[in-house]
Amino acid sequence: MADGYTDAFVEVAETKLRMLRGGQGEPLLILHGAGGNRGWLQYMQLLSQRFQVYVPDHPGFGKSDQPEWIASVPDLACFYLWALEDLGLSRLRVIGFSMGGWLAAEMAVMCPQLVERMVLVGAAGVKPTQGEITDIFLLSPAEMTAKMFYDTKQAPEYEQLYGAQPSPEEQDLLTRNREMAARITWKPYMHDPRLPSLLRRLRMPTLIVWGRQDAIVPVNCGELYHQNIRGSELVIMEQCGHVPQIEKPQEFVNIVSEFL
Amino acid sequence: MDVYYFTEMPYAEFPESEAEKFPSMRLTFPNTYFDPRLASELFRRYLDEYQYAEEVGFDGLMINEHHNTPSCMDVEVNITGGILARITQRAKILMLGNLLPTTDNPVRLAEEIAMVDVISGGRLISGVVRGIGVENWATNTNPVYNRERFEECHDLLIKTWTTPGPFRWEGKHFHFRVINPWMVPIQKPHPPIWVPGTGSPETVEWAARHRYTYAAFLTPLDVAEDLFKLYHKHAEEVGYTPRPEHFAFMICCHVNDTDEKAQEEGRHFLWRMGHPLRGPQAYFAPPGYVSRVAALMASRRRPKPLNQLSYQELQDANHLIVGSPETVIKKLRYIKDRLGIGALLLEAQAGQMSHQTTMRSIELLGREVIPALKEL
Repeated sequence: MADGYTDAFVEVAETKLRMLRGGQGEPLLILHGAGGNRGWLQYMQLLSQRFQVYVPDHPGFGKSDQPEWIASVPDLACFYLWALEDLGLSRLRVIGFSMGGWLAAEMAVMCPQLVERMVLVGAAGVKPTQGEITDIFLLSPAEMTAKMFYDTKQAPEYEQLYGAQPSPEEQDLLTRNREMAARITWKPYMHDPRLPSLLRRLRMPTLIVWGRQDAIVPVNCGELYHQNIRGSELVIMEQCGHVPQIEKPQEFVNIVSEFL
Repeated sequence: MDVYYFTEMPYAEFPESEAEKFPSMRLTFPNTYFDPRLASELFRRYLDEYQYAEEVGFDGLMINEHHNTPSCMDVEVNITGGILARITQRAKILMLGNLLPTTDNPVRLAEEIAMVDVISGGRLISGVVRGIGVENWATNTNPVYNRERFEECHDLLIKTWTTPGPFRWEGKHFHFRVINPWMVPIQKPHPPIWVPGTGSPETVEWAARHRYTYAAFLTPLDVAEDLFKLYHKHAEEVGYTPRPEHFAFMICCHVNDTDEKAQEEGRHFLWRMGHPLRGPQAYFAPPGYVSRVAALMASRRRPKPLNQLSYQELQDANHLIVGSPETVIKKLRYIKDRLGIGALLLEAQAGQMSHQTTMRSIELLGREVIPALKEL
């Protein structure tokens, strides 16, 4: 499985969940953001050389079922604690991107013993003290894509991911993702007022990675995570936007691999 | 057939060129352009026009509610409903309507509506709406829950009006522990309820199943016919045959002494059809607000959006009826006969149409057009 991955459904937490899985080694859970799971990307392939990488579509996103009871990001965290139990994963490394970073933080504060090491990348979930988290639901898909990158030309997978018009089936999935993201992040918008206080419980090694030019979630949020998670490390990638894992995958993997 | 007078009570006192600088006139066009002193004068004239409409013979007076837009200064139908309840004597007061999903307190809403009915002596028609997409933004109501909140709020309104208090309500979106208002409607079991729509099949079904009047708003006539047919289908499923009073139709209308004068003044409706109806899709269709079925029907019902239709195209499509009394009578009769409606809702003021022009139109509508439409 070192060079490939599987794309299958698993039955966990009484829910059918789509899961990409590849690599061998210690388990590494990757939690996507509000835009959904973009598939098996370069950075996942690189990380799968050292870890067994799990990349689910969150419930309600992509091809996964949607349990009615999930109405917030903390609810989604509860789901994953249950799902990981069903998968027999009691302790693992977690990387969360954007809304997925918020999700990872919620999981960690609820069940710290589950998370061995955590990476938060452009993570939502805390209200910035400077600037605002961009209201992604007020943007068109094209505007959103433009805001996500500092320079699309340096993203090797940009054309593959964003170059073509989505097919009707792909558009349907994108619409589904947007609706589920709205369901769980609408109010208070894209943050949990409790989280800064709860983060102070955490002791696991935590790496916080941010693009300096992140135009979706301000760098200030990364600083707030860093201030509230004891012993955490903050790395800011220069000339990089909200999705360093797509915009500068090799540099991103270098930073994260060394930590994990 | 009853005929209602309607205006959105617009605030059009700024250069259109300013609105053109922004993605839309709705939601994010800055309210720095709003002068409350000017608005005060505007309210006086609009309310005078409503009073006059009753005087000349309109059966009813319709008001609506919008937020974050100069196209409608009525940000609270229960306030203007209350005013009309006191300054008029005979006409029905159609509030079309209260935004159910965006309220956090259906019990208070039930009290407010009941109060209007009481002050009016039982003349209220309580319209209920989901609100356009923009209203979710303006009130920060999660659009994903718009329909659920609409339905639960409605259910709680009905219960509050019809069930002796005190009682409790622990629903999905609303929670109350002591419902016992000392304000219930005069009309029993409650004021009639109307529901407007522009094409969502779910709204038609809901209205039909509840036996509420469905009002098609500015839809092409063939689409209105389809929607009314759909209403019939659902009505028959629940065991009744709809009558004309179950259907209403809203269009824009201006009458003047001659066709030429009417054509000139009718151009004020282009303001109403233009900037307020343009804007990013995200404003009008936030995530989850429109079902995929409704989105498909929306693309079918208007090959060209309203704000892209020319003045003549708006008239040809029967969205805007403009002319002398004779011209307007002919066109409105055609619509009445074709659709078989029990109520015609005439938006008869728009943009910067002057008080004088509006009053003349109201007069001609009341004294000539409405009597002609009521002739058997």
